[in-house]
Amino acid sequence: MSRGEGVAGRGDRRAPDFLRLAAFGLSAFALASFVGLVAVFVQQAWPFVKAQGIAGLFGVHWSFRSERFGALPMIYGSLAVSAIALVLAAPIGWGAAVFLAEVLPRRSRIAAKVGVELLAGIPSVVYGLLGVLLLRDTAMRLLRPFDPISGDTLATGGLLLAIMILPTVVSLSDDALAAVPKSQRAAARALGLGKAETILRAVVPTALPGLASALLLGLGRALGETIAVFLVIGRQDNQWPERLWTLDPLARAGQSVTSKLGGSETAVAYGDPVHWGALLGLGLLLLAVVAGLSFAGSWLALRRAPRA
Amino acid sequence: MLHTRLGLLLIAAFAATSAATAQPLRINGSTTVNPVVVDAAEFLRSEKKATIFVDTQGGSAGGIAALGEGRAEIAMISRELEPDDSKKFPNVHFLATRIGIDALALVVSKDVWNGGVRVLSRAQVQEIYEGKITNWNAVGGPDRRIVFFNKEPGRGTWESFAKWLYGDPKKAPDVSHPEVGANEEGRNKVASTPGAISQLSAAWADQKTVFGVAIRRGDGKVVSPTLASIADGSYPITRPLQVVTDGPPKGLAKEMVDLLLSPRGQALLEKHGYLKNPEKDPKGK
Repeated sequence: MSRGEGVAGRGDRRAPDFLRLAAFGLSAFALASFVGLVAVFVQQAWPFVKAQGIAGLFGVHWSFRSERFGALPMIYGSLAVSAIALVLAAPIGWGAAVFLAEVLPRRSRIAAKVGVELLAGIPSVVYGLLGVLLLRDTAMRLLRPFDPISGDTLATGGLLLAIMILPTVVSLSDDALAAVPKSQRAAARALGLGKAETILRAVVPTALPGLASALLLGLGRALGETIAVFLVIGRQDNQWPERLWTLDPLARAGQSVTSKLGGSETAVAYGDPVHWGALLGLGLLLLAVVAGLSFAGSWLALRRAPRA
Repeated sequence: MLHTRLGLLLIAAFAATSAATAQPLRINGSTTVNPVVVDAAEFLRSEKKATIFVDTQGGSAGGIAALGEGRAEIAMISRELEPDDSKKFPNVHFLATRIGIDALALVVSKDVWNGGVRVLSRAQVQEIYEGKITNWNAVGGPDRRIVFFNKEPGRGTWESFAKWLYGDPKKAPDVSHPEVGANEEGRNKVASTPGAISQLSAAWADQKTVFGVAIRRGDGKVVSPTLASIADGSYPITRPLQVVTDGPPKGLAKEMVDLLLSPRGQALLEKHGYLKNPEKDPKGK
């Protein structure tokens, strides 16, 4: 099978010149905006780098009044929240996608998919307010064994993010499963596999890169998400866990990179080049991580065509 | 500051193209002052067909930054102007007009209030804030852990609080508490968390979901954050509610400031639970 080749259309006749030119111009503009954005970020973060070096960001203590800008607790917060979201969203999202793509009849599948994609379009502040209303008390009850001080914890943020990225994960996973050629299924059935075995042994392994990419792209959205997490994470600075790989810190309030950037500290920092630079440095860090995830996700999605 | 200005150039370039024609009045700042100004803006909208945007990005410091950068014509602040404000924006001539007075209340959750915590002294508040007292039973309350929801830095409420405890917000020690931003968020979180305490505008301390405790002053007198005690100056933590402009207000901004100072505007302050400007000394100290 060679699905990959027909789509790319390398053999097409050349497009008219003005079209090529317009496409080139617009792509160049997009690229230039991105480069410009990064350049401005770097230029604004420079006073901080000059004063404390990039290493200044990798401490465990953040206190702008004493000019300490250690971002590790926030990086930990971002990673913890995202990891929780992934662990919760992966099985549910993939399971729902298998149901959509393999079990539902075509017509209901389209209807269900439209519904799922509508969910993906809900503004994040709405999720955040729902989180404040519904999740905080639930989280407090669920986490009682860990004795949290309030319902605002890293775990609450992760749970909320899981709900938020679920539509993205379901929709992209469904695409990945639907892209598995009919012939694969037919061959598996011909070999005598039942429906469930066909899905598990033939369809899912083929679609695996696509499924992984769905998760990574969902995670990319999760990491950059601000308002929803902002409202339920607690926004407590300097919560660097004593033991990194234990679970208790997840039941405490914390701070993520985005919740720090979304707070009013940016208004205080304005006009103080070093403080402002540190916050911009945080922004760059976030940009790098999200860009990396998006690259990885897109790369997996591109090579999801069957190898043989 | 030139390099910081440059940073907003990209955004501003897009915003300017659409905003240049209309000349709307943009207002940003404190969530404490916000309800009053929102009502006043509604008057101007219906009576003068004015276009007014009122926002609360970043509280008082956010308002000053927006005014300083030219993203707003009026900043709302729930504190005094600080020397730092002009230091950050040397080209802007900040002019504050006091429109009313508010007090800062220390609010506790229902379980703490019913558990018997009705009065705190300044020393007790300080020890709670610095984490030296961590259980309510040390101040006559139930055996329950204290959860301090700290107002974000840059909020007028926090600045007034730190000024009261330490004389100068800059002298406040580093503490690590969960933080809250807008008044709604603070009230909601205190109300829904057992053992909670936070700083909140007295007008928002509704005594139904959150409860403002009385302060025991240095002379032993116990004063609750009521309008009467704020008016006669006996409650110790009061702060001005102000609107700030770049130089004397002009055009629509002037109409807004005049409206807020008029009897109709002053009535709005009372409507929202604040104290209007004292009559004898309308300019304030």
